[in-house]
Amino acid sequence: MAEQTMSYSEKNIPISKVLIIGAGIAGMQAALDIANAGYPVLLVEKLPSIGGHMAQLSETFPTLDCAQCIMTPRTVEVGHHENIQLMTYSEIESIEGELGDFRVTVRRKAAYVDWDACTGCGVCTEKCPKRMTSTQFEVGMGRRKAIYTLSPQAVPNKPVLDRENCIWFQRGKCRVCEKFCPTGAIDYEQEDYTVEERVGTIIVATGYDLYPVINMGEYGSGEVPDVIDGLAFERLLSSSGPTAGQVFRPSDGQEPKEVVFIQCAGSRDPELHMPYCSKICCMYTAKHAMLYKHKVHDGQAYVFYIDIRSAGKRYEEFVQRAMEEDDSLYLRGKVSKIFRDGQKTVVWGTDTLTGQNIEIAADLVVLATAMVPRLEGKLIAQMLGLPTDAHGWMLPMDDNIHPVETLRPGVFLAGTASGPKDIPETVAQASGAAGKVLSLFARWDRTRSPETERLVYA
Amino acid sequence: MRRIGVFICHCGTNIAGTVDVERVAAEIAKYPEVVLSTDYKYMCSDPGQNLIKESIARHNLDGIVVSACSPAMHEVTFRRATESAGVNPYQCEIANIREQVSWVHQNDKEAATIKAIETIRTIVEKVRYNESLVPFSLPLVKRALVIGGGIAGMTTALDIAEAGYPVLLVERDDHLGGNMARLSQAYVNFDGANDLLGSTIERVTHHPNIQVLTNAKVSEVGGYVGNFIVGVNTRSNGAAEPFSFDIGAIVVATGYELYKKENLGEYGAGRYPDVIDGLQFEQMLASKDGLRRPSDGREPKEVVWVQCAGSRDPELHKSYCSKICCMYVAKQTIAYKKRVPDGQAYVMYIDIRSQGRGYEEFVQTAMENYDVLYLRGKASKVFQENGQVTVWSTDTLTGQNIKVDADLVVLATAVVPASGAVELGQTIRSAVDEHGFFSEAHPKLRPVESNTAGIFLAGAAQFAKDIPETVAQASGAASKVLGLFALRQMVQEPTVAYVDPELCSGCGLCIPACPYDAREMHSWQALATVNAALCQGCGACAMVCPNKASKVRNFTPHQILTMMDAYL
Repeated sequence: MAEQTMSYSEKNIPISKVLIIGAGIAGMQAALDIANAGYPVLLVEKLPSIGGHMAQLSETFPTLDCAQCIMTPRTVEVGHHENIQLMTYSEIESIEGELGDFRVTVRRKAAYVDWDACTGCGVCTEKCPKRMTSTQFEVGMGRRKAIYTLSPQAVPNKPVLDRENCIWFQRGKCRVCEKFCPTGAIDYEQEDYTVEERVGTIIVATGYDLYPVINMGEYGSGEVPDVIDGLAFERLLSSSGPTAGQVFRPSDGQEPKEVVFIQCAGSRDPELHMPYCSKICCMYTAKHAMLYKHKVHDGQAYVFYIDIRSAGKRYEEFVQRAMEEDDSLYLRGKVSKIFRDGQKTVVWGTDTLTGQNIEIAADLVVLATAMVPRLEGKLIAQMLGLPTDAHGWMLPMDDNIHPVETLRPGVFLAGTASGPKDIPETVAQASGAAGKVLSLFARWDRTRSPETERLVYA
Repeated sequence: MRRIGVFICHCGTNIAGTVDVERVAAEIAKYPEVVLSTDYKYMCSDPGQNLIKESIARHNLDGIVVSACSPAMHEVTFRRATESAGVNPYQCEIANIREQVSWVHQNDKEAATIKAIETIRTIVEKVRYNESLVPFSLPLVKRALVIGGGIAGMTTALDIAEAGYPVLLVERDDHLGGNMARLSQAYVNFDGANDLLGSTIERVTHHPNIQVLTNAKVSEVGGYVGNFIVGVNTRSNGAAEPFSFDIGAIVVATGYELYKKENLGEYGAGRYPDVIDGLQFEQMLASKDGLRRPSDGREPKEVVWVQCAGSRDPELHKSYCSKICCMYVAKQTIAYKKRVPDGQAYVMYIDIRSQGRGYEEFVQTAMENYDVLYLRGKASKVFQENGQVTVWSTDTLTGQNIKVDADLVVLATAVVPASGAVELGQTIRSAVDEHGFFSEAHPKLRPVESNTAGIFLAGAAQFAKDIPETVAQASGAASKVLGLFALRQMVQEPTVAYVDPELCSGCGLCIPACPYDAREMHSWQALATVNAALCQGCGACAMVCPNKASKVRNFTPHQILTMMDAYL
């Protein structure tokens, strides 16, 4: 293997500190593994709070544990950990240097709130008169204010002010949040600033996005109101989501009685969209169909699929349960057209097992859209000179025996930055990246202090 | 007088949707020595924890009851919050009103609310008599045991050894490499499996921190995390006493086997020599004599691969999907076509599972560039005729019956745990599931940890997985070991059993009652003792003690009786 070697003089000793880019479940897991071993971690997250996509999920397959319930202990631990320096609402501006001594410039975006003074009481958000659709966290299913936190469980629990939607910034009047803030934390003069940090290793955990529905003409290009993507449906199912767990269709708020789930929307479609399989959709769609039935007992779920891919511990059994216990109707075939007809969304498809054409007048259509690399991840890859495949997934040093190492010494990959993965695989791999970092740090420490080495071998 | 604060969590609608939390808070506020009773949407969130911390200061609380989800979820969270506000963490207890109340009584809100009130009262009683405790520390042996010398075990061993800690790698075979050594090439890049493996074996064999024992078996494990005592038998020391090692952490990397093809009589396996399994085909591919079928050494021109042979078959065989077969079959078909360009490959499948970066494209390549014929449907009948193996099937896409006169049939047999996994699980006291795969601590968030502290999982021992996933997870297991070894010492919970010497008669009933071997008689007094390092605080000894001399800290007979009084 290409050994991760380095040379350094007495003056230039390697820095046993890691930069982790992205604070989703992958970045958090790697951060905790390293911080719990006693090493400092700089964890940089673009959004105002940590948790990534997992924070948006309702319940998780195959146990139906609520995502918030199992993740909140992690977010709280990351937020409080003495070895984790957390920079949210921050972006990597540049990275220079090499294994042992990377110099990182981080842009801390103006939140227009002095987070040191803010207690997270939430009065600013409550009083803010400007309300708009939350396209990001609630995926269009809920609303937020111009000054907001992503969720009630946000870590850190500090709001940011969205300048583009703020009445004061746009029209020069309002300042309601400032008026009501009990600690005087609102600061309209705040500006972005940069900080420089030095670290010895880097873990890239930039994660994924969903392929936009707007790119898919066959599914209505995002113009048919009751056609939503999987993350939007997660928000409808989530008991802490915008509907408090009530499933309704966006067009008129009615409870949908016929729901069509379409797998491989944008995946496995080399002509029009992405050629690869997104790996997680079969399982979360089975979960969606199951949870929908648990909420709407007289509803019917239909699932269009090409192949059912339930490869994992207790996964096959889980899909069987969706079919047998929750009466989800699985139809093998792709959907050719979706269009609006009155209050209904009509789905045309073909059952490739019987050869029959199928028409379903649905109340709601949920697209299991393809996973794509997160845009910011591509920028990070460029910055670090990491090779990516044609779609932007980052490539490890070797797919088989070096899946978390990259060609750049000291830079490791965690989670979906290197391709679609579900949560357990992401977590295991994130610990793997942490293992590589810990191995390096321990080695460096012994070089520094022969005393430690004797202790270790004693 | 105690000053107890009670904090009632809504858990969104998880609790508040069923339990009238405001009424519960009002009722509990009337209870003796409860000076504060309040509710909040998410007590585990930052503002929820701050509410607890601020209330401790403002109301000078010395006992905390958080009524929320199971203590398994957030006891640590709330005890930490309590401690940071200056109160001993063992003065904080959880009243579980979610799993044990709201979730199980969703249809009866009134009864659920009353049960929540009663549950909280009992915990208030417990806290009233809780002692302030301090965890104690134990030494930590910084040497790891890795069981299994396949790619998983070797990867873990190298990561730990590179960090400077000694590793004992125990392999029952006479060589390292595991199943990967039996492969020809790896998908999706056709790198030679033994080229990939060779450098790893080389590094393991020569690493100064790795001691490799081949032909060796872990025969007994005693002790506990940080201080295991492991017995290893090797063929060289035969029936003699096992070698004994002090070990701090154990990684199970025992891997997989293929489901015996003889179990698959419906495919003629075991009866017809030209019906083989996937690993046998790998050996054919790796062989230098060209591709020759077992029966007569002829080069097979028509080859049928049968996927899900024994997988996804809950009636007859294994209920689960074996995860790796779709991809290795695609690889084998391509490798076959490269060797035998005029041959024809057929694949019978139920679903094609080519998940992840580059995998779908790989299977498409097999179909499009190598003309592999994928047929959706299970083989219904296999029989030998005129020197060929005839496979009957139905194409479920066209409804047509299919008959292929094949020269060779390759069964992608199910992945099962390596033999002896269940026994090993018993030896090391780590749970396995109904199929014999080792159980992870949590299916989502703790995939490399077992339920036993200090025992971690790598590779296919936990469940079928391919090489990239195995290797990543193996490094994950190493990271857990390195995290443990980074500690100066082990910290042990103080809520363990103790003996009141005034009351103990030395009858010894507690000793066989203990499932953790934590109890023994005093060397010269008529007195039972507790090894606090081994004690898990289960209370079995307290149950059998006729004199109430054996007690568990903060779970004393007196506490239990007052808790019962509060319920009745």
